[in-house]
Amino acid sequence: MTRFVLKRIAVMPLLLLGVVTIAFVISRLLPANPIAAIVGQRNLGNEAIVAAAERKWGLDQPLIVQYFNYIGNLFRGDLGTSFVTKSPVLSDLADRLPATLELALMALVIGAVGGVILGVVSASRKDKFADHLSRLFALVGSSLPIFWTGLLFLFVFYAQLGIAPSPGRLSSRVVPPPHVTGFYTVDALVAGNPALFWDAFSHLLLPAFIMGWGLMGTISRLVRASMLDELGADYVRTVRAKGVSEGQLMRGHVLRNSLTPVVTVLGFAFGALLMGAVLVETIFSWNGIGSYAVEATRALDYPAINGVSLLGGAVFLLANLATDVTYAVVDPRVRLV
Amino acid sequence: MNVRRPRRIAWKAAIATAAVAVLALTACSTGAATVADGERQLVIARAMDVSTLDPQRGYCDTCQIVLSALYETVVTVDPEDTTKILPRLATEWTNNEDYTSFTFILDPEATFADGSAVEAADVKWTFERLLNLQGSASFLMAGLASIDTPDATTVTVNFSAPNSAFLAIVAAPYTGIVNSELAEENGASAAADAATADVSEDWFLQNSAGSGPYTLAGYEAGQSVELTRSDEYWGAAPTFPSVLINEVTDSSSQLQQLQQGDVDIAMQVSSDSIEQLAGNADVTTELVDSFNYIYLEFAPGAVGGEVLDDPRVREAIKYAIDYDKVIDATVGGNGKTQGSPIPNGFEGSEDQVLPEYNVEKAKELLAEAGLADGFTLPAAYPKFAVYGVDFDVMMQSIQQDLVEVGITLELQPLEYTQWAEILGTDGSPLTAVYFAPDHTDSSQYVSYFGMVPSGAWSETASVAGPVTNQAEVEGLATALTQSGADRAATYTELGKEMASDLIILPIVNPQLVLAYASDVTGVEYSPCCNLDLAALGLK
Repeated sequence: MTRFVLKRIAVMPLLLLGVVTIAFVISRLLPANPIAAIVGQRNLGNEAIVAAAERKWGLDQPLIVQYFNYIGNLFRGDLGTSFVTKSPVLSDLADRLPATLELALMALVIGAVGGVILGVVSASRKDKFADHLSRLFALVGSSLPIFWTGLLFLFVFYAQLGIAPSPGRLSSRVVPPPHVTGFYTVDALVAGNPALFWDAFSHLLLPAFIMGWGLMGTISRLVRASMLDELGADYVRTVRAKGVSEGQLMRGHVLRNSLTPVVTVLGFAFGALLMGAVLVETIFSWNGIGSYAVEATRALDYPAINGVSLLGGAVFLLANLATDVTYAVVDPRVRLV
Repeated sequence: MNVRRPRRIAWKAAIATAAVAVLALTACSTGAATVADGERQLVIARAMDVSTLDPQRGYCDTCQIVLSALYETVVTVDPEDTTKILPRLATEWTNNEDYTSFTFILDPEATFADGSAVEAADVKWTFERLLNLQGSASFLMAGLASIDTPDATTVTVNFSAPNSAFLAIVAAPYTGIVNSELAEENGASAAADAATADVSEDWFLQNSAGSGPYTLAGYEAGQSVELTRSDEYWGAAPTFPSVLINEVTDSSSQLQQLQQGDVDIAMQVSSDSIEQLAGNADVTTELVDSFNYIYLEFAPGAVGGEVLDDPRVREAIKYAIDYDKVIDATVGGNGKTQGSPIPNGFEGSEDQVLPEYNVEKAKELLAEAGLADGFTLPAAYPKFAVYGVDFDVMMQSIQQDLVEVGITLELQPLEYTQWAEILGTDGSPLTAVYFAPDHTDSSQYVSYFGMVPSGAWSETASVAGPVTNQAEVEGLATALTQSGADRAATYTELGKEMASDLIILPIVNPQLVLAYASDVTGVEYSPCCNLDLAALGLK
């Protein structure tokens, strides 16, 4: 397995170079003017200001020169400076990644735990009311658009009922914990501040639930189908004949065997959650990678677009690798070569 | 075969999950989190447009709010009478008869946040840097010839041509005086090659170097700007120890957060919100006049715009628009029409003829122009929603009106950068744009909208090429040698001249909704800086 992992890691730089090249070319082909975002609409006709901005940001160079400059800088760990934030893209990504990771991980936990619970309930009470209810809940989660559920939940639970916290990572006037990991929940615990932990944790719940709800539906359907298959298998009858309790049978045999396909879904889902947090981050004022990507695209912020593409590519490659490895660990029949 | 279900496992897990969720929500709703101790922090919700916090590079509405709290200008304007100049860093000022030389005497008590004195050299350095950076606001120093600093508190600014607008210009936040020594230590430059030599923009994102009542405590792009009261402030200390401006893009989210008490001021709630907030004693709402407006721009010189070269066609379009309907559709009726590119309330806006909705007159003009059967006109515009006006709604409303006179408007809503690309290539025969003032002198409107060499829209104002209206060129030059009633009269004539060019057609001058916690005082629309943070207080 070590050889397999090393081989996959070795080809990653090449694949990422491809990702960056494609992002570079596509962003340059768009019929749009990035200088507009830099100098502002009122200065578009001012040749001196436009020329100065083009010089400053290297946009006066031929495209091929810009490309090789970018790749050269990339090898030195310089992802360029964002046209919009005026900060190095690397530091922008480093600032925002923990926010998105924290949200995506929470969404993954909610989606996975909720999905498995719903799947178990459905399978164990097949065709009963609990099964129908659980399947309906999963179906709704998978079907409703995130922007709609996000706005609706905010309106109901925050604006009307006042039981959910405000959008954002912390409540208004709350001072963030000292930076250690960038995960506010973890940093609050490190700082020994449980009140701050609860504040950060409660702010995660609603957006993470909305992100994880769709995944919950996928996993619950998967678990339900797998468990029903397993429950019909010969070994289940044998286990029961040996007098093993129903709880032990479910926990130790049926559920465990049913979770193997879930691992595959989780790997891909994490990558998708991480890079697909755009809408939730926008609705919940979450300053993560998703909202950064949106702003970069709208302003045609070339360095930021390339940086986000690079990060997205890396996330998916690593998620795929992690999925393959986990699959082999969970299922001994799988061999990685 | 009957299968016994592991009911207990599933329900235990479900109950545990629900318990965690309830606990978390309860913890939040009981306000158990750590907050800034002591005095109350002012929290503002705003869709921010910050791209830099460098005072000489900044150029945005949010920049005006933040920069005016961090950096003080040499003079300021009276909020009650925008033509009246008041002291700030300078205690007195004079100008020569032809407005080519201005002398400021600085207050010897004025200090920067680090305790060092504000000196004439800092003023000279700031103005020269503003010019030499070749940034978005560099035009404010156009015509600057030299700056003399005979002593530490005296500055004389000389221009190559009369510039009676200068006192209004140096009240604009982009001219806020910077601690030159501190800024230079961090990569700033005012030299002629500052456009490339100055590498301080990143530093200014996390630091400030002004003499204002606040200093910059932190900035997270796309998230928040935080200001802290300056301990060394030489003037009257502001009420709030710190101000946090949070990025809240959506106006309904701003409204919700204001209703829930999570923010003190919501800066861009829609006019519909006024009704929703009626009866809420914790929140105050006000409608105030603004100097902002949204306009249509005609470009006969753009590809497909040839038909607009005939002034009668432009006039027909002007008559064909039902302005009241557009204002109702966009800002719920809380807006005004405007007679010329000089906005209501500015010098020269008096006696302008407001646009009139007259379909018959429009048809008559089109018939005279030989276009009684109508025509099709492409209209690319940016998908903006500014000052409460959604451009999509506005353009769709205008599209419906123009159908009545046989004109088919082909709407092309675009992202801003795509729209800019079109303007820079083929152009768009008709487009929609917005304008907010940079300072309080009317010259900016003639310089930008007039058919003058600096005019933004004169290049495409005719099929024949760039247009120059000599009356406007001379009128602007005259206005810059005048003051008082003479200058107001000149701007009135210039307003009429620009209205008759009919390249710019103002559609709506929206009122602003001020929505804030009822115990906050001093929330006013400021002509220099949108919102004067230092003037805010508590009941």
